Amino acid sequence: MSLPPPIEESLIVFENVSRFYGEVLGVNRVTLSIPPGITSLVGPNGSGKTTLMNLMTGLVRPTRGAIKILGIPPDDPERLFRLLGYSTQFDSFPKGLTGFQFVYSFLRLFGTTHSECEALAWKSIERVNLVEAANRKVAGYSKGMRQRIKLAQSIAHDPRVLVLDEPLNGLDPLVRAETISLFRELAAEGRHVIVSSHILHEVDMISDQVILLSNGYVVAEGKIQGVRSEISDHPMQVLIRCNRPGALASKVFEQDSVVEARIHADGGGLLVKTRDPDRFYRLLNHIAMNGIEIESVAPADDNVNSVYEYLIGAEESTK
Amino acid sequence: MAVYKRTYKGYSGPLTPTWSRFLILPRYSYSRLFQSKFLILFQVACMIFPIGCAGFIYLSHNLSFLKSFNVQAGNFLDVNGNFFLYFCNFQAAMAYLMTAFVGPSLVSPDLVNNALPLYFCRPFSRTEYVAGKMSVLMFLLSMITWVPGLILFAIQSSLAGWEWTMANLWIAEAILLAMLVWCTILSLIAMAISAWVRWKVAAGALILGVFFAGAGFGAAINAVMRTKYGTLIDLAQVNFIVWSPLFHHDAASGVALSDAWMALAGACAICLWLLSKKVRAFEVIR
Repeated sequence: MSLPPPIEESLIVFENVSRFYGEVLGVNRVTLSIPPGITSLVGPNGSGKTTLMNLMTGLVRPTRGAIKILGIPPDDPERLFRLLGYSTQFDSFPKGLTGFQFVYSFLRLFGTTHSECEALAWKSIERVNLVEAANRKVAGYSKGMRQRIKLAQSIAHDPRVLVLDEPLNGLDPLVRAETISLFRELAAEGRHVIVSSHILHEVDMISDQVILLSNGYVVAEGKIQGVRSEISDHPMQVLIRCNRPGALASKVFEQDSVVEARIHADGGGLLVKTRDPDRFYRLLNHIAMNGIEIESVAPADDNVNSVYEYLIGAEESTK
Repeated sequence: MAVYKRTYKGYSGPLTPTWSRFLILPRYSYSRLFQSKFLILFQVACMIFPIGCAGFIYLSHNLSFLKSFNVQAGNFLDVNGNFFLYFCNFQAAMAYLMTAFVGPSLVSPDLVNNALPLYFCRPFSRTEYVAGKMSVLMFLLSMITWVPGLILFAIQSSLAGWEWTMANLWIAEAILLAMLVWCTILSLIAMAISAWVRWKVAAGALILGVFFAGAGFGAAINAVMRTKYGTLIDLAQVNFIVWSPLFHHDAASGVALSDAWMALAGACAICLWLLSKKVRAFEVIR
């Protein structure tokens, strides 16, 4: 029986990494450990998302610190790029190529033979659902088609790590859903799918974990619910659907940790802000046994949107 | 956190040798370049002089043919080092014009399209990128410089016989070395300018301008400073100084051969430095 690979060979590891462009800060003191699955990089423009991706792909060298991609340092391109695929945010295509030629020619740079290249190129084009347009010039593609052909070139050599800069930009809802499902498929195969995005709703939907960046610093990382529970400055919001929200409000106010309770606009629920959600949930069990019928209890702000607003939004608005 | 098990296997088939991977870049460059009718016509025009030279060599070995037209050939039909030096000078000028036409489209489109990360997120280095792009120009320039030069030498050898060939083998070496030096200089200058000047027309004009400006400034420095060393910034003249001893010709420029070689090496180093500043996978915005 073969031994499982060492844990560091299945992780993307940043150890105290900083990158400065002269006096301009790219990212600072980043320490991360990214497991397989879909990881989203979230942050406003200039927060360091692309720098972090360029560091991961070895296109930018860190000023300080060390990076290992599945145990391989990024300054070893011959080994690294066999297991890493990158799609940049730019619509960068050499002139005059068709979609197939684009995927095929860049695949040749990996040293794959002609026949293998053809087979792999068609397979990846098929995976992004672009077979019919593959023999048309990329210059005539729509924004969505360009995004898909870029995705095809990044997955064509079957990489273990996919780094995708803004891959959902410009996709229509149907293609967006297809692309998200492709990401899930790739992640389910045990790959790392690193995605940067501004569309917080989708990030929330697709990510196994998020990395929130602001001004070059990682402000939070991990599963979004975990991140939310650690933000103590903002009381947790819980929406309780019940038959008597008024009575429930009077009960919950007996708790010191509850800072606000508001009856929902439709009159069928109560929105509570509490500093101690665990204690609050225990109280709800007690209340439920005392005549108030509770239909559902759901956290109202443990999504990327709220976390982004709490951690980064305030900072942005003060600029 | 979801737990994923690796269920796929990456590519593990045969690979092409690493050293030859830079040759993938010219693949589409040629097809794009030869879509231009002007380039094809120019390439054909570049062959007119070599064909004329081939006719000249033929005539020099068939004086009876000239005599049938009552033409006195005399000594002017000697095919020697000077003949090949004139040939190289003419073809070098054509190569210079071709560089101004082809050079600007080498690197600048990739910079304009931000396409460099696409190349460098593969097992492909900056050196390989530069070598790949340079090979496009080197091939085209070779086709109009040392290749026809060596063909002419072969024609002359076949007509003049073994003894002439062995006594003049240095001419073949001179053609090859002189033209390779010229093609390398032209290619590096064109690449460096193409990397820094993104507008093709301006880049083409600048490639032409580098030589004219160098000649002008060089002459001005020589006149003002009463020296000969201004010539070192006139790359065409420096190149001629390097060529002359190869063809057993006296350049009579007053500049030492070693200085001329140093000037060429310096020009190459500057071009490589300019390329290293621009050919990067990312752009630093300050």
